[in-house]
Parts: sequence; C-alpha cells; structure tokens
Amino acid sequence: MSTSGRIADVLPAVRGAVEDLGSVAVPTTERDRERRRIAALCAPFAVLLVVAGVYPLLEVVRISVSVERFETVGFTLSAYRTLVTDPYYRRVAFNTLWFAALTTLVSVALAVPIAHALEKYDLPGEGLFVTLVSFPISLPGIVAAFMMLVLFGNNGVLTNVVATFAGANPTDVAVAVSVPGLFLAFVYSMVPRATLILRGTYAEVEEAAEEAAQALGATPLQTFRYVTFPQIRPGITGALILTFRTGLAIFGTLIVIQTLLVWTLQLDRELSAGAFPVAGAMATVYFVFVFGFTALGLRYTSAEVGL
Amino acid sequence: MARVTIDSVRKVYDDTVAVENVSLTVPDGEILGLLGPSGCGKTTTLRTVAGFETPTEGTVAFDDEDVTHVPPEDRNIGLVFQTYALFDNMTVGENVAFGLKMRGVDPAKRRARAEELLELLGIGGLSDRDPQTLSGGQQQRVGLARALAIEPRVLLLDEPMTGLDAKLKRRLRNELGELLDELGVTALYVTHDQAEAMSMCDRIAVMNDGHVEQVGTPREVYERPANAFVADFVGTANVLDGVVSDGTLDLGFERVPAAGAPEGPATVVARPEAFRADSDGEIPVAVTERTYQGDHVRATVTLPDETAVTLRLDPATLTDDENVRLTLDPTALHVTDVDVEADSDGAVIPN
Repeated sequence: MSTSGRIADVLPAVRGAVEDLGSVAVPTTERDRERRRIAALCAPFAVLLVVAGVYPLLEVVRISVSVERFETVGFTLSAYRTLVTDPYYRRVAFNTLWFAALTTLVSVALAVPIAHALEKYDLPGEGLFVTLVSFPISLPGIVAAFMMLVLFGNNGVLTNVVATFAGANPTDVAVAVSVPGLFLAFVYSMVPRATLILRGTYAEVEEAAEEAAQALGATPLQTFRYVTFPQIRPGITGALILTFRTGLAIFGTLIVIQTLLVWTLQLDRELSAGAFPVAGAMATVYFVFVFGFTALGLRYTSAEVGL
Repeated sequence: MARVTIDSVRKVYDDTVAVENVSLTVPDGEILGLLGPSGCGKTTTLRTVAGFETPTEGTVAFDDEDVTHVPPEDRNIGLVFQTYALFDNMTVGENVAFGLKMRGVDPAKRRARAEELLELLGIGGLSDRDPQTLSGGQQQRVGLARALAIEPRVLLLDEPMTGLDAKLKRRLRNELGELLDELGVTALYVTHDQAEAMSMCDRIAVMNDGHVEQVGTPREVYERPANAFVADFVGTANVLDGVVSDGTLDLGFERVPAAGAPEGPATVVARPEAFRADSDGEIPVAVTERTYQGDHVRATVTLPDETAVTLRLDPATLTDDENVRLTLDPTALHVTDVDVEADSDGAVIPN
C-alpha cells in the first residue's frame, strides 16, 4: 500500500479521535456530558497509572535489557537467556507455579463451602464468622507467617500439644518452617480472597431454580451438582484466576518462612545482590505471565474477573 | 394425584406471624386458588405444602400420609414459578426430563416423555433449544412441562403468569385451565389476580393477613362474599346500608324483597352489575365520573340518598347527560352479616 493510501486510511480515525476529544472538552449532548464526567472521574487514576505504573514498568523492562548492571545502557537479552537456560531459575519458576497452583486449588475448595454456608443459610453469629473469614485480607503476609510460627513453630502451641500426645520432641513435629507450614500460611491468606469472590457469585444464584430441582426430586447434593455448580462455575474460575495471582504475588510470608524458593523471594535476592538486569527480567516475566494468564483465562472461560 | 389437607397451619418467622390457623382441603383433581394481596400468606402456605417451609404448628397431608416433615425432594410435587426458574445450563428437553433423570429413568424414555409433554403444551420442536432463547410464554410452558413430567401428586403454581403481558396471559390462562382439567391434576394456584383465580380455579381461598377469609367457588366468592375484605378484593363492591323488615329490604332509595334475611339494620353488597341504566328505571342518579374502558364505561354515580356507587354502563346507551335512571336487580344483592362501611368512592372498608 502506498504512503498516501495509508494516510488516507488513518486520517478518518484520527479525525474521529480529535472530534471525540473535542466533544468531551466542549460537550453538546447528554452523552458528551456523560463522557466528560467519566473522564473527570477517571483522570486521577489515569495519571497515577502512567506515573506509578506504566513508566516504572517500562523502566524495569529497560533495566532488564541493559548491558550494564548499574546503568541502563545498550541492549542485551542475556538476563532473559539466563532465566530460560539456567536450571536454578527454571526450578524457581517450577516451585512458584506448583505451589501457587496447589494452594489456589485448596483455597478455592475451602472457600466454596464457606461461601455456600454464608449465602445460603442464616448462620448463628454470622457477623463474627464473616469477620474471622475476611480477617486475613487485612493481615500482612509477614504477620500470617508469624502466626504460623506461634502455632506450629518449635515452641508453638499446637506443636507442643501434638508432641505431648505423640510423646515426641517438639522440634521433630514442628511444621511452621517447612513447606507444609508455608502452605498453611499461604492458604490462610488466600481463602478470604476466594471467599469474597465466591460470595458475590453465590448472591446471584437463582434460588428458585434450586428449589425447582429439589421439588423434582434432586437431593441437596444433586441440586448443587446440576443447578448450583453450573451457576457458580464462572465465579469459581474467577476465584481460581485471582487466587492464583495472589499466590504468585505473596512475598511477606516468604520472608519469615524461607523454605521454598519461589519467584518473589528470588527476585528479592537478586535485588539485594544488585543483579538488576536479572531482577528486571524476572519482574517483566512475572508481569507478562500474570497478564497473559489472566487474558487467556478470560478468553477461554466465562470467569467473572477483570484483568 | 392426591388429596391435599392443610390442617391448622401456623407459620411464624421470628416475631412475624405469616400464616395463622390455615385449614384447607384440596380434593383429588381440584384446582384451588390461593388469592390475596402481597404479604397475605399465600406463598408461605404454598411453600409449606411444597416442603420448603416447616409449619410452626399444624400439619400437611397428601391423601392420608402426613408429609409435614418430609423434605421437598421426597414429596413428589411439581412446582411452577413466576420467574420460570428454568435451568439455563440445560436444553429445554433436559429441563423437562430433569425430574425423570433424578428418578433414574433411562435417557430414551426421558426424552420421549419430554417430547410428548412439549408437544402437548404446543411447543414441540423446541427440545434442543436453550431456554434463554424462548419467549416468556414459551418458558412458562417449559416450566409447566417440567413440573408435569414427574406426574406429581400435587402441582403447585406460584403466580405463574405474573410476568406475562395481558394478551398472552389471557391465552395461556385458557390453555392452562383446559390442560389441568384434562389431566385431572390436583393443584394449588397462588395469585393476586382475581380474574386469573376465577378463570383457572375450581375453588378459591381468599387470604388476608395470614388468615383464610373465605373458601368457595369463584361464583360463591364473588356473589356471596363472606365479609368486607372478600367483597372488596374480589371485584368491585358497593356497600349500601338498609333495613330488613317483614321480608323487605329498605335501601332508602328502593325497597326490594329480602325473604330469609335477618330482620333489622343490614349491610348490603351490590356489585356494579346489580344496577342497570334504564330510561324507565325508578332510581334517578347523577353521574359524577365516567371512565371509558372499551367494552364498558365505569361510572360513579350518586344515589338519591347521596351514596356513591360504581357501575358498569354500556357505552352505546350512555349519553353525555349527567342524569340517568337505574333499575336495581334484587337478586344480585348480597346481605352480609359483617360490619362494613364504604368510603367516599364506595369502596368497602372493614370496621
């Protein structure tokens, strides 16, 4: 296509964009005024997104391809090559994925009955129950890990109870500083997030359809399988995606319980060691993976979740 | 099908009494309407029969079997909802066959039965469709087919036509009435629409504030309302004061025979059709308001004693003249034994 042809194609779009901007700046219809209100409401976040999101991210990408360690100069993909070819990083990636996946599955599996109970029944002390379930959301990961130590560490309450009954040495039964301990800390942090999403989904379940199924002879379990579950499936998929993302992002807990080398912990180590290009590459890969994973999840499922 | 007996049912939620001492019997094959305003307890009664609510007191029985504490899935009931409540993750055919699937009927027989019912309800050929692609009327038929597929002991219909437009409602009402009669289904039909109840049901239980006010055939309920509430809720009622003496009812503006009525002051319910415009009529009235309704004119007139009554007049015979003469059909009057009064528009107010 000739240059003039390409310009001819682009011109109407440019003209349209300019007209749109003009109509937002000087609205003449109610739709224009509505768009101006939307622009005004979103402007602060848009500024924040550019200043604190897009720009730093671009800088991180730039650092990841820098030839020099402490200077962003030149272009090389050696940091990415290291991530792909070095077995150490591959193991970190593998640890990250299986651990996040497993904790996600368990968290969502626990969240489904919790959401079911909260949305379907009038529970005694429901307010307290909701508070307890949602409490970990506002708890820093580092505190969650500390709580694990209090419970399951060498001097932990439950460790000592188990040791007493088993006639064993507490240090032999302590699980806090182990993969199972880390697993519990992760799940503790992730269940509330999954529950929150699933409660929203449960609230939209058509109760009349469930009652129709029951009237037609379906047991409560069959009603869940044939009627409730298909309705909450998009919510479960959404909960899986978001909880998995949470699992990938957890860092505070890992600072205390460093029993499994995962991506965020290794990233911290790279930064501490001043290996900025590798750290930049790890951050970029992380971002691309999470973004791509969520986009694919949205593309191929009916998950009720946004990017 | 079964006979349904609701015996002295009371249902209390926290401090709220939803249903109080409701006793009803629905003979095998009868359609009983539960008619009343919102919050009167009709849906609670239906849900108690369905098993979704356990009564605080009283019992529910199908034939001679006490089902008060039997869970819904073991009652063999068909339930049709106002919201259709179809399973969106299944096709129309799968919806209809769902109850049979739960009973372990093999897939070929399920499908055949579903096709048969869909055909019977005039929506054959929709078996493979997604329920969400159907119109409201079609969805309601699917809901009905699904409920009938299991050959329920009792069919429970909870305001099944509320979401439909007036024309479709009229059509479906006729079709559904005929179908239920044909199938000999025992049914409880909850509605707040008196016209629907009157055309669909063999008998109607009028409910108010958790109580059953009257049970009777549509004609009995309309022509011989048990009290002011029923008179007002079912159709339009004009309440007139009179005195019965020596077998004659004196309404002030007219004296009519009233053999058998108790002597003394009387409260009389006169439906609009009890009055007829007639140039030779003996009751002169002044028309104070007229509303054109298409096939009739709804008019408010003032009787010689200043009482306002509502009438249905023929648009063809009605002139712009404000003064009309009426005749009163004494056989269309109903003397109640309940203390009632009328407000300025002639509407009944229970004392």
